Amino acid sequence: MGLLEIDEVSVQFGGLLAVDDASISVPEGCVTGLIGPNGAGKTTLFNVITGLQAPSGGRVRLDGADITRRRPYRRARLGIARTFQRLEAFGSLTARENVLVALEMRRRWAKSRYDSGKIAAELLERVGAAQVADKRVDSLPTGSARLVELARALATDPKVLLLDEPSSGLDEQETDALGVLLHELTADGLAVLLVEHDMPLVMEACTHISVLDFGRIIAEGTPAEIQADPSVQRAYLGTAKSAS
Amino acid sequence: MTSMQAVPTPDATDDEVPILQLAAVRAGYGRIDVLHGIDLELRAGEVFALLGPNGAGKSTTLAVCSGQITPSTGGMFLCGRDVTGVAPDALARAGVCLIPEGRGIFPNLNVLENLRMATFTGHSFSQVLDLAFAQFPRLGERRKQTAGTLSGGEQQMLSMARALATEPAVLLIDELSMGLAPIIVEELYEHVRRIAASGLSILIVEQFAHEILGLADRAGIMLHGRLLHTGPPASIADELADAYLGAEHETPAAHPSQ
Amino acid sequence: MSQRWSNLLVWAGTIAFIVLVSKAAWAGNPVNGTSLTNLVVLALPVAGIIAMSATGLVVVYTTTGVFNFAQGAIGMFLAYVDWELTVAHGLPQAVALPLVVLVIAPLLGIGLDRAIMRHLQGKQLVVQLMVTVGLLFAFVGLANMIWNQNNAHSMPQLFAGKGFHIGDVLLTWHRFITIMVAVALAIGLRILLVRTRIGIAMRAVVDNRDLAALEGARSSVLSSFAWALGCSVAALAGILIAPETADMSTTTLTFLILTAFAAAVVGRLRSLPLTYLGAIILALATQWMASFLRFSDRWTNVPDALPTIMLFIVLLLLPRAEVQFARIGQIRRVERVSSVRDTAIGLAAFVAFMAILTLFLSSSDPTNTNRLALGMCTALLALSLVPLTGWAGQVSLAPLAFAGIGAVAYTRLGGAHGSVWAVFLAALVTIPVGALFAFPAMRLQGLYLALATLAFAAMVEEVFYTQPFAVGPGERPVARLHLLGIDFSSPKSFLILVTVVFGLCGVGVVALRRSPFGRRLVALRDSEAASVTVGVNILETKLAVFALSAGIAGFAGAFYAMSFGTLNNAQGFQMIAGLPVVLALVIGGVGFVAGALFAGVFGFVTLFVQDNWHISLWIALFYLAPGLAVLGIIQNPSGAVVPIGEGFARLLPWRKDAKQEYEEMTAAAAEPEVGELGLERPFAESDVLLVDRELGISNDVPRPVAAARSS
Ligand SMILES: Nc1ncnc2c1ncn2[C@@H]1O[C@H](COP(=O)(O)OP(=O)(O)OP(=O)(O)O)[C@@H](O)[C@H]1O
Ligand SMILES: Nc1ncnc2c1ncn2[C@@H]1O[C@H](COP(=O)(O)OP(=O)(O)OP(=O)(O)O)[C@@H](O)[C@H]1O
Ligand SMILES: [Mg+2]
Ligand SMILES: [Mg+2]
Repeated sequence: MGLLEIDEVSVQFGGLLAVDDASISVPEGCVTGLIGPNGAGKTTLFNVITGLQAPSGGRVRLDGADITRRRPYRRARLGIARTFQRLEAFGSLTARENVLVALEMRRRWAKSRYDSGKIAAELLERVGAAQVADKRVDSLPTGSARLVELARALATDPKVLLLDEPSSGLDEQETDALGVLLHELTADGLAVLLVEHDMPLVMEACTHISVLDFGRIIAEGTPAEIQADPSVQRAYLGTAKSAS
Repeated sequence: MTSMQAVPTPDATDDEVPILQLAAVRAGYGRIDVLHGIDLELRAGEVFALLGPNGAGKSTTLAVCSGQITPSTGGMFLCGRDVTGVAPDALARAGVCLIPEGRGIFPNLNVLENLRMATFTGHSFSQVLDLAFAQFPRLGERRKQTAGTLSGGEQQMLSMARALATEPAVLLIDELSMGLAPIIVEELYEHVRRIAASGLSILIVEQFAHEILGLADRAGIMLHGRLLHTGPPASIADELADAYLGAEHETPAAHPSQ
Repeated sequence: MSQRWSNLLVWAGTIAFIVLVSKAAWAGNPVNGTSLTNLVVLALPVAGIIAMSATGLVVVYTTTGVFNFAQGAIGMFLAYVDWELTVAHGLPQAVALPLVVLVIAPLLGIGLDRAIMRHLQGKQLVVQLMVTVGLLFAFVGLANMIWNQNNAHSMPQLFAGKGFHIGDVLLTWHRFITIMVAVALAIGLRILLVRTRIGIAMRAVVDNRDLAALEGARSSVLSSFAWALGCSVAALAGILIAPETADMSTTTLTFLILTAFAAAVVGRLRSLPLTYLGAIILALATQWMASFLRFSDRWTNVPDALPTIMLFIVLLLLPRAEVQFARIGQIRRVERVSSVRDTAIGLAAFVAFMAILTLFLSSSDPTNTNRLALGMCTALLALSLVPLTGWAGQVSLAPLAFAGIGAVAYTRLGGAHGSVWAVFLAALVTIPVGALFAFPAMRLQGLYLALATLAFAAMVEEVFYTQPFAVGPGERPVARLHLLGIDFSSPKSFLILVTVVFGLCGVGVVALRRSPFGRRLVALRDSEAASVTVGVNILETKLAVFALSAGIAGFAGAFYAMSFGTLNNAQGFQMIAGLPVVLALVIGGVGFVAGALFAGVFGFVTLFVQDNWHISLWIALFYLAPGLAVLGIIQNPSGAVVPIGEGFARLLPWRKDAKQEYEEMTAAAAEPEVGELGLERPFAESDVLLVDRELGISNDVPRPVAAARSS
């Protein structure tokens, strides 16, 4: 039983079934991978989990409680945080302020007081965006903006972190650092659901992977099993690509 | 009106006029420079890979090449003709095609209308459709969908479709692989290789070196707004690791390798 | 509340409203076949007129992304040009009409585009809207200057008013043609916008201008074409509508466009057929009121409010706006958040300046002192929009309506004898009113919200002040404040009082921006999707800022009332009078306290010019508003106070960093805006050929890939 349970979720756009009876379980303390070809429904599934998209069927549970009909900001307060595939930073705020917005929301329902300025600095440091803390986010290159978004997501002190292609726009160094960061975070007990097309990162970071194709889960298993699965190779991995 | 202008003779190694050349270009946003003197040449029919870490100025370089940013000093030449300050639409019609990073679609138009926009460079609509849908059957299934609701990867396909369908003379690609499934990336690289073989000149920007170096004729590393090394991919691969570490390469002068 | 339920509620409310109003105001005319046929036949031409006006709105919005308040004014102006050619110079309409519609109007459109409109692409909504409002005033002023409104003008109908009968009613050829032209336009424009490349390209430029250029579309040509088209449609509408108005009053023709808003919104600013359906419904409703209902006393103005009531209802029926993702090519804004300390120092200096100024003002003739006080009231009112529009990005065009409510509240709750509590009560009353309005309106986004506020302002104007519990028919005296034993009834002391109040509120507003709440507002504006996923409650936050803004406006309203001295139901709080306040704030800088101050100064200058130069308000505004709006807004879309502030701050010893900061700020906001740098060079076909030749490509096989493929 995972911390986050996605139970037979379906999403329909007009005549198109973007997600079709998908079930995924995201346990705490490890990274769960979600991969699949373009247009498979991964981002849509993220939108369902965070409440930005109402599912046409199925349930989402957090810690056993049904949150399918909760409003998005409530889910955030319950501990679901995410980053976006197409950047959604607060462009006219600085990186630090981006993080502060999230921190201050958390402070409103946290019991103990704390110094948000200090935590913001720590978070930016942790994701590797400390140098750009006082720059406006819309003038940052994509990669740095992504890191700021990650710091902002962490600032809500989540139980579950949903990452939608976090490594796109990062360079190799930063991607490696991201892998390390993911390990640290899960060691602290966080549950991470990772959507990513960068196979080395996925294979290295995830303990368990689900493969989505045309809205359906076509395979599940450990990285090794997934890599060996012929249907996954056909639908997604291709031939030349394999994990390093 | 634009007078024929002699190119400041580049390296003496070959006398062929490069199809695209940046000479000592400084450029940036507002009054703040991001590029500090870029000398870059793209020879006819070659694939040039521009590598470098986050924020090095790669996208800015492409913005200069496509005419979106006018260099504050220095010049840009197309087949030896001075095109510094020429508007991007004119450059596009002259055959320079940029696939921008991440925002290459019209979100409120549908797929067909997006592709219709690719006909400004002289191809007929049916030609564009044939080429685009042959390469990306997925788009064919989504003709009437509003582009903004396509998945991230589908948007990237739509953006790439223009490059493949309009057959430009110079193709500038910013982070081709971003957001695409490995199998698609593999196909795309295959396609890039094919069109490169047909004589088109390609300047391609990537963060990840491995696949692209296999495909490039030459490569360059950018760091802090300077082009540090250019040369054959093999020689670049060694330099690359150092470049990403950054610190050792604060040396201001560009040193093009011969 | 789910979409279905809220829609049901609106429908039920609307039907109940119609039934109740019809019952209460029933005039007693018989409803039978004949009267209903007459109603329909009378309504059709009205529908034609509304449809024509709305077509212009829809076309311009679709092709340029700008909602053009000036559409009616442009039509009016061109109708006058047509009048000049036909009536004054005797040209036959068969020559004049094509000349105006196909030559003069497109030229005007191209000129407008070159000078102003193309610079508006990708700017904030409020900036776009206000520039068109500025143009509206400019065209009215220009027309009034050229064609003296004291003389009657009239334009004959086409075919001299001949026509044919349907039932008892004469349908003139003119009206018949109007209807036919509307239908033909709908078909033609649909084909243009969806089928042709130029139509698609115009929409593409609205969507992603940079990319359109990268694909080789000449965006400057496209936007010129779009405005030429828009002006042609405006001219056609203006010329066909002008004979239907009493004496071609410039204002009637101009503000007819407000009637068209509801119809255009029915079509969601996209679909012309739906727009026409809206026009027909609106026309039927108008005729129904005119034929069967009678309004008097406190309800006299209800028929005038009908289009805005309908606009409001239609807006409420729109589907709930989805959570917004940051848009492609997000708007970049220059924003400097000054520290609370700097603001406090600046505003204290300003109060001191004002105090010194009063020493030089004449004591015997308080006119200028009163004008200054009114200017400060305007500044206070403009301040109410700084958090709402400047930071949260929600455009409100109804600040003056809230001020009016505040003024009434002050007057009725103790202001008649200058009670201090009444000032705070004024704010306290408007806060729930603001929240009450915002609650349904929050489902709307951007432009639709702006239009809802406009409708709200119009409804307040037409049906609120006439109520006996508000102002009623007569006049109500208002006293100025007694505070801490001081009587602020003398002009000078009152001026100082308003200035101090402005200063305190200004500091408060800046402190707010520096607080978590202020950051949250900006975050919400930049990306709603990201805001909710970090736990921001959008509804609550928007309600809060709307209520806050209403509160400040109500507060300002109390001072307006004091400044006026008496209150009557036709005084100073009309919807139209609110637009210049917003305009002035936008010129100054909508995200800055100094921008609000700028709006105050602007208000003062307007009053000064108006009274001393003996010209009407229109003309004063003609001189000031559009000139400043165009020059100022185009130069500094973030506000005139940005460069002023930079120049000023550099003089201060503790602001040594000002210059560098300004440069960084403008750099961050600079878009690589191409073509407007004056560096654009032609790259002609011959050059292309040359490039091809250099590439070794023969003329018949223009691209290398094509060569490879065909082999
Ligand atoms: N609002 C919408 N209307 C219609 N179709 C939609 C809408 N949103 C998404 N889709 C479609 O649903 C499918 C799933 O989209 P989604 O964004 O979830 O894909 P994805 O798995 O994230 O792909 P990628 O890896 O390319 O980002 C796509 O085919 C997309 O075109
Ligand atoms: N609009 C802008 N305004 C101000 N500075 C900018 C703007 N866009 C980019 N920059 C700055 O220019 C520098 C180079 O950015 P650029 O986008 O060219 O990098 P890049 O090499 O493409 O990086 P990435 O791989 O992350 O895309 C960065 O330091 C960035 O902060
Ligand atoms: Mg996705
Ligand atoms: Mg880049």
